[in-house]
Amino acid sequence: MHELFLVCLTHTRLHSRYVLQMVVACYRHLASCVGGCTDGLQLRDELRQTRERARNLAATTCERLTSHLRDKKLPVEERKEMELLWVAFSSSLELLHIDMCKVYNMGGIFTLAECPSLVQTGLQGGNSEVAARALSLPDLNGPLNSDLIDGLENREHKTMEQEISQIDRMIDDMETKVNVLRWMVEPRGPLDGDPLGSADTASLGLLSVDEERLAGRRPGGERNHVVALLLMCAVILVASTLSVCIFFFS
Amino acid sequence: MTIRNTLRDHGQRYRPRMACLKKAEKVLLEMQDPKSGVKSQPQRLVITTIPHAITGEDIVAWLADRFQIDTREARSLGSMLVALGFVYPLQDHKRLLLKPDASLYRFQTPYFWPAQQWPVEDTDYAIYLAKRNIRKKGILEVHEQEQYNHLHKWMNHKWDFIVMQAKEQYRAAKERKKPDRVVFDCQERAYWVVHRPPPGTVSAMDYGLDRRIDPNADEAKTPDYYERIMIFTQQSIMRPRVKSSVSIGALVKYSATYNSHDPFLSKCLPSNPWHTDDVTYWTLNLPKRKLGVLGRLRGFEMGHGSDHAGEGRADLQDVPGPRRPSLDQHRRENDGDHGERPEASAQIRDGRRPDPHLHAHEERLVRPLHEIAGFQGHVEKGHRPRGAQVHVGAPRRRSSPSPRSRSFSFQRRSCASSEAQLEQNAKNRRPSLSPIVLRQQELEERAKMAANAPVDITQVMSKLSRRK
Repeated sequence: MHELFLVCLTHTRLHSRYVLQMVVACYRHLASCVGGCTDGLQLRDELRQTRERARNLAATTCERLTSHLRDKKLPVEERKEMELLWVAFSSSLELLHIDMCKVYNMGGIFTLAECPSLVQTGLQGGNSEVAARALSLPDLNGPLNSDLIDGLENREHKTMEQEISQIDRMIDDMETKVNVLRWMVEPRGPLDGDPLGSADTASLGLLSVDEERLAGRRPGGERNHVVALLLMCAVILVASTLSVCIFFFS
Repeated sequence: MTIRNTLRDHGQRYRPRMACLKKAEKVLLEMQDPKSGVKSQPQRLVITTIPHAITGEDIVAWLADRFQIDTREARSLGSMLVALGFVYPLQDHKRLLLKPDASLYRFQTPYFWPAQQWPVEDTDYAIYLAKRNIRKKGILEVHEQEQYNHLHKWMNHKWDFIVMQAKEQYRAAKERKKPDRVVFDCQERAYWVVHRPPPGTVSAMDYGLDRRIDPNADEAKTPDYYERIMIFTQQSIMRPRVKSSVSIGALVKYSATYNSHDPFLSKCLPSNPWHTDDVTYWTLNLPKRKLGVLGRLRGFEMGHGSDHAGEGRADLQDVPGPRRPSLDQHRRENDGDHGERPEASAQIRDGRRPDPHLHAHEERLVRPLHEIAGFQGHVEKGHRPRGAQVHVGAPRRRSSPSPRSRSFSFQRRSCASSEAQLEQNAKNRRPSLSPIVLRQQELEERAKMAANAPVDITQVMSKLSRRK
């Protein structure tokens, strides 16, 4: 019974760890758009919501992990499992802390109210899908009300400071309350993990092909070449099938 | 806001200030202005089009215009921006250079801008490499693979986290649209080329050693800090005061002493005579004849009494004389053709009195060699001093010349170059043009070439077609 309970607990903990990792990854993607041409109130709101979810998850996981690791009666196997979870959790927290500091800093430079020129980074689409994934929702609500614009940035700036210091304290508490020797923790997985699906043949692969082409030619010219080649191939195919048909039926 | 570093070892881990980064950020923001910034064009890929691509020549032209500098300097400034990672090349992503042609670049997103206060984390690099490795095996380069293995060994305890985070980041990227995914991949790749350069390349982010104290942190107002301020102010008060007349007098004395050494207050030195035809430098530096103690001793030896002591002292004044070659030079010149001094050696050989234009008080010290008592036995034989000829006319073969031949009077007598001879030498030299005249001629030639050059129609047409 006790073992079942522990298994369930581990499962929930693992699940929350995965969710936290997912949220942190999404937050990084959203943070990379700050200051760029897609920056706006919507992005800042999405960042705020993602941050909130991450903090809540972090708080609950931290509580559970700390209480378990301080339990001296924990069996060795469990302890190892907990330590692994603890290392992953603390690394996620550190990443989140870094991203929050960067967003805070960039928010100070690229204040939307004063509307300085945003950096032309080449991005076109919105980030609502990424934010939806972070919040585990099918899709996000519509764009923000314009009434909320005034004062939103200032409030956000102040709350960000508090949130960053909160994460800081959480990491500090973990360091002081729990004594986990990081270098003793052994990972489970292989060197590179399972290969991901190759349905999306690397977008970088696309780029490398492009680079080779663009190195020699002018932009825009090669599109016409591709179309002409395709047409020619189609014509040749049609001609060959027709000739074969004529040969057989004559 | 500082990104925390959980290893609390108080070692040298703070990066020094890189003030250029803040300045480059401001330049970047100016370049974004839709009206006065750099013009952008779309980048056409096979399937999609991505906006906001800029050409190298546009960047160079904008920088040259903004800072009023010439194209070469603008190009090196642009290369600096690329090397720091504010702008990345779309076509040869490994070479962080700005090419002033139609090659395309794009602005880096502020998240990936280099920050002075936050070092680049190895965890992030490990996640990036893991992401690329998971997506497609064998895509990593040799140095990247080595780094990956090294990081795997060093960060082994976090490896589960790194792999999982890489997968999650990849899945989150899939939620974005294809062009945005391409752009993000380019941005990330450019970021890591700047901060983890391949071996053999120079990184613009190299800053030397880490500092012990964080230059960004405000100094904490501890009691120690206030104590230092108090000590400083106390010492400033206790410093002894000096009357302005005394201090100004000291300044004046210092200036007067070192006046001639100051390049601004004193005249500049004469020019190099080999470049310009002004021989002032040589005239000023002619060796001055100091008779000194040795001269006086020789004088006594030769029979002059103490009544010439006064003149001896007067001889101590620097007297610029004609060019006086050393004994070695004299030997060399008498090896072959006698060149400039046939007269002197002839005079001495004949036992004639030396040149009349020698100073009067020196004449008394100068005596023909064969009159000098104790001269190597040739005099005793009674005939012409062939020894003198040997000494004067023929090349010297003995390793240690006799001390008499090195005497001051002998050297003076053997010197024959007069001012007339120097002038003759100057005339024989090839005249050289001063560099100022040469430069003017060069500029005139260039202007002529530019004015007369025919307009190349083919070049103009190809430029127009490229602009399209």
